[in-house]
Amino acid sequence: MRACYEVVVVGGGHAGAEAAWAAARLGCRTLLLTRDLAAIGRMSCNPAVGGLAKGQTVREVDALGGLMGWAADRTGIQFKVLNASRGPAVQGLRCQSDKAAYSREVAGRLAAQPNLELREGAAASFLVAGGRLAGLRLEDGDEILCRAAVVTSGTFLRGLIHVGSERQAAGRWGEAPCAGLSDALRGLGLRLGRMKTGTPPRVTAESIDRTKTMRSRGDASPRAFSFRSRGESFPKLRQVDCFLTHTTERTHDLIRTNLDRSPLYAGIIHGRGPRYCPSIEDKVVRFAERDRHQIFIEPEGLDTEWTYLSGLSMSLPADVQEAVVRSIPGLERAEILRPAYAVEYDVVFPEQLEDTLAVRALPGLFLAGQVNGTSGYEEAAGQGLVAGVNAGLVAGRREGDPFTLGRHEAYIGVMIDDLVTLGAEEPYRLLTSRAEHRLLLGGDTAYARLTAKGLACGLLSEEEAAPVLEREARHRWARAALAESRVLPDRGTQAELEVHGVGLSEETTAAGLLRRPDAPASIRTWLEGRLREPLGGLDDEGWERLVNEVRYEGFLKREIEVIERVRRSGERLVPPGFRYAGVPGLSAEAAEKLERHRPRTLGQAGRIPGVTPAAVTLLLARLAAAERRVGP
Amino acid sequence: MPPLVGDAAGEGDVLVARATPPGVGALAIVRLSGPAGRTLAIARGVAPQLPARTVSRRAYLSPLVDEDGSVVDEGLVLWFEAPASATGEEVVELQAHGSPAIVEALVRAAVRKGARRARPGEFTRRAVSNGKLDLARAEGIGRLAAAASRGEARRALGLVRGELSRRVEALREALLAALVEIEARLDFAEDVERDGEAAALCRVVSAREALLVLAAEVGVGRAGAALPTVVIVGAPNAGKSTLFNALLGEDRVLVTEVAGTTRDAVAEVVEIAGERVRLVDTAGLRDTAERLERLGVEATVRAAAGADLLLLAREAGGGGPAPEGLPDGVPVLVLGTKADLSGTVLDGELRVSARTGEGLAALRREIGLRLDRGGETGVHGALPRQREALLRAAGALAGVAPADPAEIVAAALRAALHALGEITGETATEELLDRIFSAFCVGK
Repeated sequence: MRACYEVVVVGGGHAGAEAAWAAARLGCRTLLLTRDLAAIGRMSCNPAVGGLAKGQTVREVDALGGLMGWAADRTGIQFKVLNASRGPAVQGLRCQSDKAAYSREVAGRLAAQPNLELREGAAASFLVAGGRLAGLRLEDGDEILCRAAVVTSGTFLRGLIHVGSERQAAGRWGEAPCAGLSDALRGLGLRLGRMKTGTPPRVTAESIDRTKTMRSRGDASPRAFSFRSRGESFPKLRQVDCFLTHTTERTHDLIRTNLDRSPLYAGIIHGRGPRYCPSIEDKVVRFAERDRHQIFIEPEGLDTEWTYLSGLSMSLPADVQEAVVRSIPGLERAEILRPAYAVEYDVVFPEQLEDTLAVRALPGLFLAGQVNGTSGYEEAAGQGLVAGVNAGLVAGRREGDPFTLGRHEAYIGVMIDDLVTLGAEEPYRLLTSRAEHRLLLGGDTAYARLTAKGLACGLLSEEEAAPVLEREARHRWARAALAESRVLPDRGTQAELEVHGVGLSEETTAAGLLRRPDAPASIRTWLEGRLREPLGGLDDEGWERLVNEVRYEGFLKREIEVIERVRRSGERLVPPGFRYAGVPGLSAEAAEKLERHRPRTLGQAGRIPGVTPAAVTLLLARLAAAERRVGP
Repeated sequence: MPPLVGDAAGEGDVLVARATPPGVGALAIVRLSGPAGRTLAIARGVAPQLPARTVSRRAYLSPLVDEDGSVVDEGLVLWFEAPASATGEEVVELQAHGSPAIVEALVRAAVRKGARRARPGEFTRRAVSNGKLDLARAEGIGRLAAAASRGEARRALGLVRGELSRRVEALREALLAALVEIEARLDFAEDVERDGEAAALCRVVSAREALLVLAAEVGVGRAGAALPTVVIVGAPNAGKSTLFNALLGEDRVLVTEVAGTTRDAVAEVVEIAGERVRLVDTAGLRDTAERLERLGVEATVRAAAGADLLLLAREAGGGGPAPEGLPDGVPVLVLGTKADLSGTVLDGELRVSARTGEGLAALRREIGLRLDRGGETGVHGALPRQREALLRAAGALAGVAPADPAEIVAAALRAALHALGEITGETATEELLDRIFSAFCVGK
């Protein structure tokens, strides 16, 4: 008797966890298949969640009812807002995590989720019937039937680890890779590539001499990722410090003399690595003029010796690694628990996916996470959620539109659009500069942007959404109150404001007062006195959001106008099955790219590299003419 | 050139059209453009003695026939093999005698064989689609074809040769460099020191200045006029109208001995130093009680305000202060008129005599020089569309103060780059990342 599910998720990493969670919450009978139940939610690299652009992404996942933000809050051991001195659009919340606790938290939530089963096993190939996915065949020969599946194999497809010339078939240290799945994917007609990523050495905490390093503290009043953390005590775990040190000339010399023993430089590793996460060999070679590179010392948990050396990823041999680590101030006597290593793995070029992350070549199959050529836990989580929802919709045979996020709605939308439109030559990571509508995508507006959508597709229950919607309503009320409340320059008011160092000569509104560059932080007290009801219930974060909205209002309005204009021109749909080869005047290169990417809209078409604006106007003319012939 | 978005029907057709201007001339060219093979086949129907095997760009002599097959002319035929042709398609050019009847007959013959008459600008549109021209150059061709004076032709040629594109490219480069500095510090705050940021913001200011300068240069004359305007002003009876007639080369304006004859501002388009110019003659500027004359004076003041250059006419050697009422900011060329009547030479005065012709050639040259500010750079011929995009780019930056939050400045830079990209057809995002990663050691 073959097991039968509506949705099967292959892989229990950050993408898999969100995908399984989403599908189950949608009411689908879901199975999470993983080689090792203990590895669910495991962090392969940094013991941290969030950061610039990533923190915003975690908020988005949270706004859509996902796991990551909540789990990070409950297991975070240091919280910090990056770019705190800048505007909300470019601030990023980040936390250090207790890795083991995080993994347990995620696994625990999944285990407790109705409609969701967890099972150990590894998928090897696909069962296909009538041109659709019908199920999976496992490595041990078992078969599982399903209506939809999400593959989130991470770095495990033909994963190969390098430490110097030592090689090990693994997706992560000590974990066996997937052997057959790459072939199965190729068998569907998909094109695969090879990428690489690296991770630094881990050392024991007690072998570090912290007197030689700089202390790096978290925020005095930590902020939480998740809305759900409001009702709970936060932070839950003991908070700790990180430490900052740096490489030296001696470190660089060691690396330079041993470059030939680095598989990266010896050309043995074939995959493309991420530019924004360079190995230390990369940094030393390309930026030779720098006499030091920063190294962050990050604990991997509260009750463990394992400590992560951020900035020191390399694929040099173990003996060189020891010398390199010990050339760093504070690490002269460091004991290496596990060396740094590079891992190569197969990826599926993402332009072969729809913006729902569905695999065009096989209806019912979805791909999410690092297997699509991204890097980062948050990127994986965002994709997992989208793929999980869509797999659920397909499996449940729900009528209506698939679940997609636009570039103006979420960083997740930016990411998926970039992936399916531009493809991925190197591991893709979210950066705020990728988002042309960055000003609108600040972490503080995630709930405003996405709660309604989450409700509509069933990711959030009315009960869960209610407090979020209520807070949003409160915010709008406060905002309106600020805009409407007049502040008159009468003697009493002037005197009060003098106390705060603010002069008032003409009438303004409360918002206008707040907008003034000379308005001090204490003005909040005065305004709260005036507008007790609307402003009274706001916490620090809520107040900050209000202030930012008032101050950035003009810029935001302009941004929204631009979006409308772009959308009107870019949102024209390209009919499915449209033949580009038949468009005369379209260059062969453009036609080829368009056939390969199959954009859904004209705007997407224009973003494909190799498709010029002239080509887009040709298409537009073609589509318009076709419409005229057929009629509206 | 028509807008690129238009009726897309018939893009696989072989086009035929007269390529030379209409009317009688020694030579006329009929051009065909279309898919390889078919175009040549149709051309053979019109030039039946084209050899079976042709070599690209070699001239062949052949009789040329009309739609009934009767020979109407004999001429040269050139075949351009795709894609090395003006449009990127297969092109055949028939050179015939310049009789409108012959040209029409050949076009008809081609149509009979399966070609279609090209719509205006359709050849150029195909050239753009096939990547032979970027948008800026394509529009330059339109202007070149329409240029009716050497000055305009030179400016239009500047467009075609991509001078506007070059200037815009340089500006784009500067803006992109500033954006890189800002974005690197926003996205990689932990890896890049803050201190370079002030320098970056200064670059934004200088880029903004450069953009405003270019946008201003690309102006098409003050007050939005299509042609540069030269206005002759001066005291009554200073010889303005005589000068006007002399520059026109005809007795256009009524000239009498009595001061104050020209009541209105009289304007005429004339070519001066290869430049088409709107030359305006005005009533003498002086205080007067007479109502009709006052109306004339007001017209003068208005005309002067809209000028690109003022010719201040006063009797040679007479000297004296400039009359009141001249607008600020308009360049003035001081002329000493009626030079044949006075021997006194004054500094800064260009002596002319409309009657003898003395100094007129020098005056024409001088006018040409003063107006032709954009001649060397060749950007004057920019079209409304490009000017509009430049102004939009400048506008995006003009509202921003360097002290604004970095992400606001970045958004403004992107808007400016987007507008510039409309001129040259490129976008910036991947390029931006490439540069950040090659310039900065970022990421852990």
